[in-house]
Amino acid sequence: MTRTATSTSSGLGRALVAVYGVFALAATARSLVQLATKADEAPLAYVLSAVAALVYVAATLGLAEVGPNPRRLAWAAVGFEMVGVLTVGTLTVLDPELFPDATVWSDYGAGYGWLPLVLPFVGIAWLWHTRARD
Amino acid sequence: MRTALRQSTLVDGPLPLALLVASLLFAVVVLVYVVLDRTPDWGLLGFAAVIEAATLVLLVIAAVQVGDADLSGPSAITLFGYLAAGLVLLPLGFVWSLAERSRGATAVLMVAGLTQAFVVVRALQVWQS
Repeated sequence: MTRTATSTSSGLGRALVAVYGVFALAATARSLVQLATKADEAPLAYVLSAVAALVYVAATLGLAEVGPNPRRLAWAAVGFEMVGVLTVGTLTVLDPELFPDATVWSDYGAGYGWLPLVLPFVGIAWLWHTRARD
Repeated sequence: MRTALRQSTLVDGPLPLALLVASLLFAVVVLVYVVLDRTPDWGLLGFAAVIEAATLVLLVIAAVQVGDADLSGPSAITLFGYLAAGLVLLPLGFVWSLAERSRGATAVLMVAGLTQAFVVVRALQVWQS
């Protein structure tokens, strides 16, 4: 017998969506300010900020069950987020000069209380926990 | 003279600190609610309304005083970005939280309260820089 998946936006998931929502809001606002006021200074870092913002927005919508296939959206966004924070975190630790201006994922998100590093793991654990199972 | 004037302004005064303490206290009260498995009530909503009103006052004061503060364009955008975020955080948190009755849903308000505190700190840092 196949049980349908549990809601990702219910119970603990509601608080998780709130945390993702805060990151989506913060990352989007920060990215817009960066791109509008000093886009030429560190284009790579600011493009990365914008990508991170989109990822957080997508993860928030997916986990909040907005759109036609929210679970797939959430998996894709949270997976991308994990790859992003690990890649950018490692690159910035190995070569601090690579990105002249900090992004959310620099140094594994140390500037944001390590939350950017913890969040994708919690997100994947939650998606796994609420998956449809046999 | 200019420094003396700035130090006497309300944004540097007790209001942001009171707002910060109130936001953190709000988060602690919500934590107690979560632990006791109590759903948000009118008391909690009233507390949030007081924080909301104080944030609005801070925003208005900042708008009035920003002319004297030598903030460059981007800093001013950042400052009002944070203050505007401070205005929408709690209402959004309540909308998202009250749609469901569960511990997790109540914990949403804790996230909102802590973020509110963070926003006030950042706004204050931008103002003083």
